[in-house]
Amino acid sequence: MKMEKNYVKWVSSSRHSLWRTVGLFFILMGPGIITSNVDNDAGGITTYSLAGAQFGLKLIWSLIPIMIVLIVIQEMCARMGVVTGKGLSDLIREKFGAKITFYMMIGVFLTNMGNVISEFAGVAAGMEVFGVNKFISVPLSAFLVWWMVVKGTYKSVEKVFLVACVFYISYVITGVIVKPNWGLVFEQFLHPKLSLHPSEMTMLIGVVGTTIAPWMQFYLQASIVEKGIKIEDYKFARFDVIMGAVMVHVVAFFIILVCAETLFKNGVRIETAKDAALSLYPLAGKYCSYLFAFGLVNASLFSASILPLSTTYLICEGLGWEAGIDKKFVEAPQFYGFYSLIILIGAGIILYPNFPLIPIMYFSQVLNGMVLPFVLIFMLLLINDKKLMMEHTNGPIFNAIAWMTSLILIGFTLLLLIRMF
Amino acid sequence: MNQSLKDFYFFSNFLNRNAYNSSEQRLGKIIDLVAERAEPYPMIIGIVVRPRGRKQRVYLTWEKILRIEPQITLSEDDLRAPQPSLPEKDIILLREEVMDKQIVDTFGAKVVRVNDLHFLRVDSHLRLVHVDVGFRGLMRRVGWEKFVDQALRWLFSYDLPNQFISWKYVQLLSGSDLLQLSVSQKKLSHLHPAELADIIEDLSGRERSAIFHALDTETAADALEEIDPKIQKALIETVTAEKASDIVEEMSLSDAVDLLADLPEEKAEEILEGMEHEKAEDLRELLVHSDETAGGLMTTAFLSLNPGVTVETAIARLRAEAPNLDIIDYIYVVDEEEILQGVVSIRDLLTAQSHQLLSEIQTPRVVSVKPDEDQNEVVDAFAKYGFRALPVLDEQNHLKGVIGFRSVLDVLAPEAG
Repeated sequence: MKMEKNYVKWVSSSRHSLWRTVGLFFILMGPGIITSNVDNDAGGITTYSLAGAQFGLKLIWSLIPIMIVLIVIQEMCARMGVVTGKGLSDLIREKFGAKITFYMMIGVFLTNMGNVISEFAGVAAGMEVFGVNKFISVPLSAFLVWWMVVKGTYKSVEKVFLVACVFYISYVITGVIVKPNWGLVFEQFLHPKLSLHPSEMTMLIGVVGTTIAPWMQFYLQASIVEKGIKIEDYKFARFDVIMGAVMVHVVAFFIILVCAETLFKNGVRIETAKDAALSLYPLAGKYCSYLFAFGLVNASLFSASILPLSTTYLICEGLGWEAGIDKKFVEAPQFYGFYSLIILIGAGIILYPNFPLIPIMYFSQVLNGMVLPFVLIFMLLLINDKKLMMEHTNGPIFNAIAWMTSLILIGFTLLLLIRMF
Repeated sequence: MNQSLKDFYFFSNFLNRNAYNSSEQRLGKIIDLVAERAEPYPMIIGIVVRPRGRKQRVYLTWEKILRIEPQITLSEDDLRAPQPSLPEKDIILLREEVMDKQIVDTFGAKVVRVNDLHFLRVDSHLRLVHVDVGFRGLMRRVGWEKFVDQALRWLFSYDLPNQFISWKYVQLLSGSDLLQLSVSQKKLSHLHPAELADIIEDLSGRERSAIFHALDTETAADALEEIDPKIQKALIETVTAEKASDIVEEMSLSDAVDLLADLPEEKAEEILEGMEHEKAEDLRELLVHSDETAGGLMTTAFLSLNPGVTVETAIARLRAEAPNLDIIDYIYVVDEEEILQGVVSIRDLLTAQSHQLLSEIQTPRVVSVKPDEDQNEVVDAFAKYGFRALPVLDEQNHLKGVIGFRSVLDVLAPEAG
């Protein structure tokens, strides 16, 4: 701890302004990059794989507008966290009251529960590619997740997470292994084709939905607050958020690319990310397949560690219960109760034979779509509250962009809901 | 006036209820209650109503309420008639400033969130007596109180209890109360500095600095000593250099040094310049040593005396200087050149005859450490010998400082501080 303190002091007193900037960024980075990468979880990888396998490179241009939307929304969260020093659920509770917060917490709990289940399913599927039975991999990973939170501190856990971010490079490597025609790829970005074909629209909506989820806003803001970033250093937090959004889309790009270059070209139909990894074996070689599966396991484990914890935090904060991994069980029973419950259910369901996983995922997607509009509107109302944000409210132009983005996003989620029924 | 009041009410019994006139026409919705700002149990002096179809809020004094049960009935026929405006001072808007906000429970010494408020009827008025922070209050707000109650009783024969905090132990953290903190901070000064420090750590930046600003210099210094170094630094940077100097002056030497070492050099220098000269010099000497060596842990606020001093004088000196000392467990015996001759513990002092000289009762063999010794070796030395303090000597056995047990605890368990 002392070491780090000296390091911070050394960096901030460094005369060379470039080093100073780079150094400060490395100290303050984390929340944005981690949140975005957790976003590339089992569900995300599956959706991108399907997009690539079914439509080739046709939808790849959409990653750029989605990235901009993600940046706009997350920047607001980061700003609220830095300016108010409070989490999003705290702010919603204080401004909009107990009733609405309570129902929203139920919604967030259920959607996150669905996500956690899909993360453990991702771990099971990814490890099966390596020949590991799910009755070994799932309990083991559940225990690992438990242990990390109970034994770890925010700082040490954040370091593990940052390392996990690096492993996403496995998708970039697979992308290079399959030797795509780069000229053709860039052509797709230069000439985006928007088709109104229903199946393409559904896929597009799916990609948007998996990239922008309600829990991310809560998690990002909470970890910015936890990190204690000051207003003077806000520019670094903003850069962190932008970096994260870019990284997540680079990874998504390579996943789509790999599946487009191999599965789509050979007309292989897949249903899951595991199918994708297995189908890569004959088409692109053993290493490509292993790397793809490894990426899936890494992503699922990573998200399975963060989602239960962030869900527990935001519920306890919103409802005013004691929270914190540094507290004892008797001091924070709700906190530990919820946390254990989420992991137990998440991992347990995967082990239960013939569990109807698909309807559960479907239901969680629907809830996701129902909660997101509320979260976005609350965010916009909060960030324009002068009393709360003082001179850091949205400017008129940014506000127009933010409202427009949110309305488009809400439109998309509503479309998704309509399509589901 | 007969308002047919019950003995107890909750805020949730009023919030968002419709208000009618005596001919049963709906006038508007109650959106807030107004309490006077008084101790210990504030009286409700009025309500804020949002009239039907209008955005303008209307303030009505409590006397305008005819009945509360079965429906809230006002004496006004409509809300268009001019009403007295909301008093500007000495009131609390309960929804805006208290409901759903975080407060400090100064009795339980923690930060909690308000779920509901509990009123007691006194004659024809209500007084705010409790803050409800429990699950029951939350369920009442959501409208599930009866359902949850029955479910729990049926399933577990468990009665969900109310979790009340008496209003006299409540310190608000928001709205106008934050500005008035310095007046009402009596409640906070009941807390132990370590508890106060924990509470300050639990708050968001804005509330943190507001509370900190409101504390008097001495309490601020005591609390600051217990606060996490990172937050310590942020807090001291929010006060003026003058106040910072006063606060640091009140802190113990070793804590003050740690804090100053964390600050940017210009800021630390500014604070030192505003301080009493002697203390500033002591701090400057200590600041030279690196954080992680014995020199960085030591303090110079200890008592050193010559061997020829009598026990009686030594006790008198100790008594006189004790308020400013970090180390009072031992007196260090040094010659004219500050070379350590021996050590006298407070027990030795109390059990000796008052005319004896320190040289007669001192322990001449003293365990010591060197200024550049690593902090972990210092910890080992403490563990091995079990002393409450260890002197720091240079190569020529000059006494440079003393390390207290507390500083070692900070090394061993930095998170617990």
